[in-house]
Order: sequence, then C-alpha cells, then structure tokens
Amino acid sequence: MRNLFLFFRQHYFYFLFLLMETVSLVMFFNYNEFQKSALYSVSNSVSGAVNDLFSGISEYFGLRRTNRVLIEEMARLHSRIPEALYATDLKIYEKKDSVVRLEYKYISAKVISNSTNKRNNFLMLNKGSLHGIANHVGVIIGNKIVGQVVSVSPHFSWVMSMLNKDSHISGKFRKNNQLVNVEWNGGNYRKGQVREIPKHIRMVVGDTIITSGNSDIFPEGLLIGTISSFRIAPDENFNNGEILFATDFNSLGYVEVVIDMMRKEKDELRSSFTPGK
Amino acid sequence: MTSRTLLYNILRFFFLVFFQVLILNHVNLGGFINPYFYVYFILLLPFSTPRWMLLLAAFVLGWSIDIFTNTLGLNISACLLMAFARPFVMMAISSGPESLLGDTPSIRNQGVKWFLYYSVILIFIHHFSLFYLEIFRFEEFFFTLVRVLLSSAFTLLLVLLSEYLFYSRGNK
Repeated sequence: MRNLFLFFRQHYFYFLFLLMETVSLVMFFNYNEFQKSALYSVSNSVSGAVNDLFSGISEYFGLRRTNRVLIEEMARLHSRIPEALYATDLKIYEKKDSVVRLEYKYISAKVISNSTNKRNNFLMLNKGSLHGIANHVGVIIGNKIVGQVVSVSPHFSWVMSMLNKDSHISGKFRKNNQLVNVEWNGGNYRKGQVREIPKHIRMVVGDTIITSGNSDIFPEGLLIGTISSFRIAPDENFNNGEILFATDFNSLGYVEVVIDMMRKEKDELRSSFTPGK
Repeated sequence: MTSRTLLYNILRFFFLVFFQVLILNHVNLGGFINPYFYVYFILLLPFSTPRWMLLLAAFVLGWSIDIFTNTLGLNISACLLMAFARPFVMMAISSGPESLLGDTPSIRNQGVKWFLYYSVILIFIHHFSLFYLEIFRFEEFFFTLVRVLLSSAFTLLLVLLSEYLFYSRGNK
C-alpha cells in the first residue's frame, strides 16, 4: 500500500495530466456538436451498414406488394391520358398549342399571406421582380388557377386572387369550347359565378370549365372548376350558372407563377393594327 | 517564486487572454492562418513552477480562451498537452546547468538557439493538437498540416518579436 502511494506520488504529474486531459476532452466532445456527431457517426456507420443489409433483404419480401402498388399507379396514370387528348379532331391545334406552351415559364413561389374571407382577396408570394415576375402574369397551383399578379416588388409579389371583385377569368367549356366568364360574388369561397353562357348550350351539372387562353395571362386548358348548378333564364340573352372552384383557396402552400414569354410579341402585334388607318 | 513574479504572471495572463480573444482571434491571414499567441504565457512560466501548477495554469488559461471562443475543452486540452510536454522538452534541449539560468525562460538568459528550440517544439505541439481536434477529420490532413505550420510560424514570430521588444532591455 505504501509502495502504491509512493508510486502515485512519484508519477503524479502523468496521472494529473491524464486526468485533466480526459476532463477537457470529455468537455470538448460534450459541448461541441460537430465533434460529438463526428464521434457518433463512426459508430453509426457500423450499425447503419448492418441495418442497410437487412432492409435490403426485407425489401425482397415486399416486392409482391410493391408490384401491385406500381401496377395500380400505372393504370391510374394511363386512364388519364385519353382525357388529356380529348379533342382528337383538333390534334393539329393541340400540337401547335403545345409548342406555344413551351413558351411559358413557370416559377414556383411560396404563399406567405392569403385570405378567403374578404370581398376582395389577395395573396402575397415570396418571389418578385428579381425572380422575373412582372405585372399581369398568372398564378396557378398544379393545373388549377389561383389568380394574377397585380403588383411586384423586388422580393415579393401581390396577387389578386380569383376571389376578388375585379377578377374576370375567361373560361370555356371543355366539352365544346364555348366561351364563358367566371367571376366571384363574395360569400362562399368554394363557389363562383359563370356568366354569359350562350343560350344554345346544353349543359349538365358537373361540366368542366377550363381557361380559354384568350387573356394571355393563363395558358389554355387549366382547370377552373365544375358547374354545380345553373339557371335557365328565358327572357335573357345568356344563362348563368354556379361553379365549384377546383382550387381550394384556403389551403394554398406553394404555387407557380406562369410567365408568357411571347406576351410582348402578342401585345405588339395587337397594337400594330389600328382600324381605319 | 517571488510575489513580484507572481504579479507579473497574473498580469501577463490577463493581457495575453484579452489580446488573444479581442484581436488575434479576428486575425485570419490568407483565410486560414490563426496565431495563438496566448501560449506565450506557458512558455514564460518560471522554471521553479511546480508541475501541478503548470497543468493547473494551462487548464485555466485554456478555459479562459474557450469561454470566449465558445469551444469548451478545445484550448484546454491543447494547453494541457503543451504544459505536460514543457518539462520534457526542457530536459531534452538543455545541455548543462547554465541552460536554466535566471528566473524564466528567455532569449537573454538561455540564448537564441535554446529558446528557439524550446518555443518551436512547444508551439507546434499546441497548434497541432488544437487544429486537428478542431477540424476532427482526416480528409483534409495536409491542408490542416499547412495551417498548423503556417500558424505556428506566425505565433513564433510574435513570440520572438515580444522577446526582443520587452525582455531584452536588461542587456543594455
């Protein structure tokens, strides 16, 4: 015992150093996240390799189920194609249209403020003129329309939602391309008004209204909504109807801004001709 | 150790810590050279300092730096290693009793050659452990080594500069 004590006394410098160095390293690895995680990642890479191996094996047992899911998904996607190519006799038009559509640029943006409960609703997006957004360009979500940009700052843009007094969307029936106007009268944010439906159109509840592409704001063929009810007015020139919006304006997260790259050319063409000259 | 030496060392401690955290920690020559001049304190501890005191002083010194740089433990371990190595380095480079003349290690007492060996080895030990602990990966091994060498050289330059500025007056 005495010898042990002497031994410690003789070499206390080494032990003291080892003790203090250990303390400092423990402190170091406990208080510094990077080194801590680096230390963990060494041990994790071992356990991770094992887990990887076993999950790879277990994937084989799930292949039957995975196949079924994939086939269902494929069938679902196939069933959509004929819908997309609805008008077979307008095939040339469709092709031409798709070429034009390449001229649309899409910019994704996040909605940072939104409302649906006012008479005139606006949204704010987190992208602006620095990202190439200009006034009077369309905003869509998926293949459904949201509104149009009415004001831009360098980093943000102010979007007039379809739920607005001043919003008049040019739409058409998907089944026969008859033009109509879509507006919103306030109230329920899921329902809007379809105006100027020509008398001769036979419509049924559930008819789909899409964008006409006449306004240069939205490309042709975006979903606006479906007819939910209509009224035949015998003594007026047009019928009116009610539309169920395809867009859920109350749950907008990320949207896309559509920019027509040929807008300028179209405008110039329009202004180049003045009647009576 | 006289009370005057103690006072000098305490003052030097505070001066070096503040000089380090207020000025040198913001120096980033060429993007990757950081001088750690505060180790000068350990270099200049008197010969008569007990070994446990060496370690304790190194611990407190490293801790003070760590508090300011938010890297608790990093400077402590590097300083401890350096303080631990100090007696052995001294033994290794001293040829006779005249090597340990005077109160503290200095160019005036031990000569340029002795002091250079002494500080180069200890500064390198400190910087080496500090940089590798901080980076903690071997992917950039040689780049880190270059950083260690250049930073050590810069620290050494500062040490020699202050040796000639403050501690060679006695010659005149």
